[in-house]
Amino acid sequence: MILLRLITWPYVRKHLTRTALTLTGILLGVAVFVGMHTANQSVLFAFQRTIDRIAGATQLQVTAGETGFDESTLERVQAVPGVRAAAPVIQAVANIGIRGEGNLLILGVDMLGDRSLRDYDLEEDDEGAVDDPLVFLARADSLIITRPFALRNHLTVNSTLVLDTVDGPKRFTVRGIMRSGGLASAFGGNLAVMDIYAAQRMFGRGRKFDRIDLAVNEGERIDAVQVRIERTLGPGFQVRTPGSRGREIESIAAVYRLSANITSLFALFIGMFIIYNTFAIAVTQRRAEIGILRALGATQSQIRRLFLTESAVAGAIGSVAGAAAGILLARALAKYIGGLLSEVYGIGERAEEVSANPNLIGLAVTAGVVTSIAAAFLPARNAARIDPVKALQKGKYESLSEGENRARRSAAVISALSAFACLGLGGRGVLLYTGYLLTLIAALLLTPAAGLWLSRLIRPVLRRVRPVEGALAADSLIQTPRRTSGTIAALMLSVSLVIALGGMARASYASIVQWMNIALNPDLFVSATQNLTARSYRFPPEVGERIQNVPGVAQVQLVRDARVLYRGRPVMLVAADIAGLVSRARLPAIEGDTDRMYREAAAGKGVIVSDNLAALENLHAGDILELAAPAGMLRLPIAGVVIDYSDQQGSILIERTLFRRYWNDDTVDLFRVYLEPRASESAVRQEILNRVGSTTRLFVLTNREVRDYILRLTDQWFSLTYVQIAVAVLVAVLGIVNTLTVSITDRRRELGVLKAVGALRRQIRGAVWIESLTIGFLGLMLGLALGAFQLFYALEISRRDIAGIRLEYQYPLKIALALAPVMLGAALVAALGPAETAVRGSLVEALEYE
Amino acid sequence: MIQLSGVSKRFNGKRGVVALDNVWFHVPRGEMVSIVGPSGSGKSTLLNLIGGLDRPTSGEIEIDGERLGGLSDDNLTRLRRDKIGFIFQFFNLLPTLTCLENVALPLHLRGWPRRKINERSKELLALVGLDRRLDHLPDELSGGERQRVAIARALSIYPPILLADEPTGNLDTQTGWEILKLIHDLRQQLGATVLIVTHDRAVAESCPRTIALRDGRIAGDSRQ
Repeated sequence: MILLRLITWPYVRKHLTRTALTLTGILLGVAVFVGMHTANQSVLFAFQRTIDRIAGATQLQVTAGETGFDESTLERVQAVPGVRAAAPVIQAVANIGIRGEGNLLILGVDMLGDRSLRDYDLEEDDEGAVDDPLVFLARADSLIITRPFALRNHLTVNSTLVLDTVDGPKRFTVRGIMRSGGLASAFGGNLAVMDIYAAQRMFGRGRKFDRIDLAVNEGERIDAVQVRIERTLGPGFQVRTPGSRGREIESIAAVYRLSANITSLFALFIGMFIIYNTFAIAVTQRRAEIGILRALGATQSQIRRLFLTESAVAGAIGSVAGAAAGILLARALAKYIGGLLSEVYGIGERAEEVSANPNLIGLAVTAGVVTSIAAAFLPARNAARIDPVKALQKGKYESLSEGENRARRSAAVISALSAFACLGLGGRGVLLYTGYLLTLIAALLLTPAAGLWLSRLIRPVLRRVRPVEGALAADSLIQTPRRTSGTIAALMLSVSLVIALGGMARASYASIVQWMNIALNPDLFVSATQNLTARSYRFPPEVGERIQNVPGVAQVQLVRDARVLYRGRPVMLVAADIAGLVSRARLPAIEGDTDRMYREAAAGKGVIVSDNLAALENLHAGDILELAAPAGMLRLPIAGVVIDYSDQQGSILIERTLFRRYWNDDTVDLFRVYLEPRASESAVRQEILNRVGSTTRLFVLTNREVRDYILRLTDQWFSLTYVQIAVAVLVAVLGIVNTLTVSITDRRRELGVLKAVGALRRQIRGAVWIESLTIGFLGLMLGLALGAFQLFYALEISRRDIAGIRLEYQYPLKIALALAPVMLGAALVAALGPAETAVRGSLVEALEYE
Repeated sequence: MIQLSGVSKRFNGKRGVVALDNVWFHVPRGEMVSIVGPSGSGKSTLLNLIGGLDRPTSGEIEIDGERLGGLSDDNLTRLRRDKIGFIFQFFNLLPTLTCLENVALPLHLRGWPRRKINERSKELLALVGLDRRLDHLPDELSGGERQRVAIARALSIYPPILLADEPTGNLDTQTGWEILKLIHDLRQQLGATVLIVTHDRAVAESCPRTIALRDGRIAGDSRQ
């Protein structure tokens, strides 16, 4: 501790700017990590909280994916021994036309039985109106709202509220107001309760329930009752505790969480190189000081401990500040992520408050400190090994020894070969990630040598362009690999991240557009919801006939989408008239014969699975697919595999008749409408709205609108990633500022000599700028090369481990070209401050500087 | 050639230090002057002020009729690179550049054509006896050789003024004398005005004129 105070503190005070830059490196890494996770957790926590608050005394919930089930299921559940109370539920999100209020969660319940499970905690005056459930039931327009919602919208008992139903807007009357807290605080208070039969009508559920909530008899084991219900209902139903349903949502958003994790860890990883750089520089600069300490009797372990303690303190300060900044960041991100999850996965949730999870903060601070210590480990070891005699001699001491270089190169070759072997072994899961990590390690180990080699290569060019400034800049890099290699590595990682994510985005857009050209070719889409991924409202099939009768309509295809569980994975089940579908949109089979695939699927003798599901579950054409449905187990061979991007978790296409038989459901989510050859798109659209829309809630979207919507979703998906890329680049740019600041200090005398022999201010500036541009250039070149591997791994991880999506490898040349001015511009901006410091310094002091 | 009129230099710190106090002298063209005095007497400060590396707190310095006080930083640099050559005690060669590149440095900064730079640098290195060490780095040379390179660099533009700060201070006696002889010879050949700051009585005595400083003031100005 005494060494820390006597040796470190004066050094820190003298190099405040650099200390601040280092702390900012850690701060940004931790902030992104905490921000992303806190926002994510807040949204998922809000979802779980809504489940818990709505659950009330519910101990088990019965569902059948998103498809719902017949009303008769309720009696079968109620008859299971041990069930004390069982009540049906319809739960859906409705849009209300009140500005700023967003969505309202509608809970359709049977007031006769539900109050044994949920406490509505009504305000005293309202108890009368709702106390008699028969009164509530007798009025189909009855609605109970929450106190916060009522206050926000100036509603009282007997106020009316217009809500969208599948049959168009309907006026509802407030018959009760729940007190704040408990159930009333679910979904941020935007909750309304109505009679279950009214809810069935409102959302087009027919005679079906979404869920049954139940409580078991006192003294009865919940798991025993759970098994009994599962046996009674069969495998098509899921019987789970309310808590485990939240985990299902987490699994739906797993792809998103994983990609957010990878990018935020990358930011921390890049921050690690800034710390490494700072400590490597500090050790070099404080060499004489270390020599004196060693000469005065400091042991190697004392010197090592001094630097590691410094790094731990810096890590702790940066991490705590980063955690605080992360929580602020999470506030901005939570709303955005909530919207993204709602758009991409159809999960509606409001994250009203962002709460810092102490475990997460602890993990982030620990990660920041450990990262900091790990980054400082090598410099600390080098400091401890400094020979006191050599350290006290003046002169050149920084160049990497040939032995050091050779050892790094050998380790890099071994890492690269091991990465190759991991891929050769069929790399999936741990092997794939190990291969990825080894590739990164190989690249990092090669960075000093590659940087040196490139610097030597470009020295003649720089010397040609600017004989003094160019040669000095290149020499500065050649002579001080330790000072620059950390920054070059950080830049390399940032650039490679941009290439990988940019390449992923480009491949995704290209593949999605190609898929849309074939699969999404109807002229119009008629949907019950404005957001195509939400499935709150459903049409009765008769609506299809009414659309078919509209003049100008050539063909209407009925599509029902529902998320169901397949081997525990929430996949999208798509039920359609396959013969009709294939007559217009024919995706080629990538496994199996295309003609035969559609023939068998249309005849109900096979199913078509998406390529991503096949990859994730190792499915192939000819395998028997078993899908548990409420009416029994659907067992059919896989007729073929197609590339389909309709869902990240994968999709299964089955004939509509099969869906009707096994799920007893003939409702429709979407109508695909093809027009007569000369029909006007806008005229038919208007006619559908006039003829059908007057009595049915519907949205008619043109082909262009749907394509734009899907591309907008893709944009939204990648936009957060772009923010993370920007942070990664910012961290790397901080590294350049750090390196240049040190470079100016190190080269004070050299720059002083330059001035003494006649260099003008612009020439000194030029020397610093060229050095910065050269660092930027080296980082860019190495990053573009590493990016090629990163992209390969990103595509492979996405294909083999996360989403199973097959995306074509295409190096994003345009992005690479666009990166050049961005990185070089950033390098130049980073050089502005240090260059001015170099210009303004005292010449006499510079010449005397040692 | 060099005119100092009431030049003072004060360094501001916790305790302000007067490095030079009201110094007046004139050095005509072609004269060789040694400046002597104990440590802290203001010798190096004086040289830095004459060379335009630093500015006086008060007083005026004229070089070849041009007042330094009114010059901007860049104009001061231009004057330095056109009229003044520096020789430092610790050579101040750039370690990453070869002998040829070090000598060529001021010429590149003046924007000379490459061919002319090459010719002049080789000519100067030949003049100081290092024509066989063109591509050597400073690290590969002895102390005397390094100082020769530094002298060649100082002479690269054939400046009318040569300022040397302890040019033999970091060399053994024999090498020191060789360097001093070289400076004398070059002055004879090029007709430059030379100012040498030194601790070494023998070096001072080799110069026709000696200015002695004590506590920032001129304590003596003698000609042999």
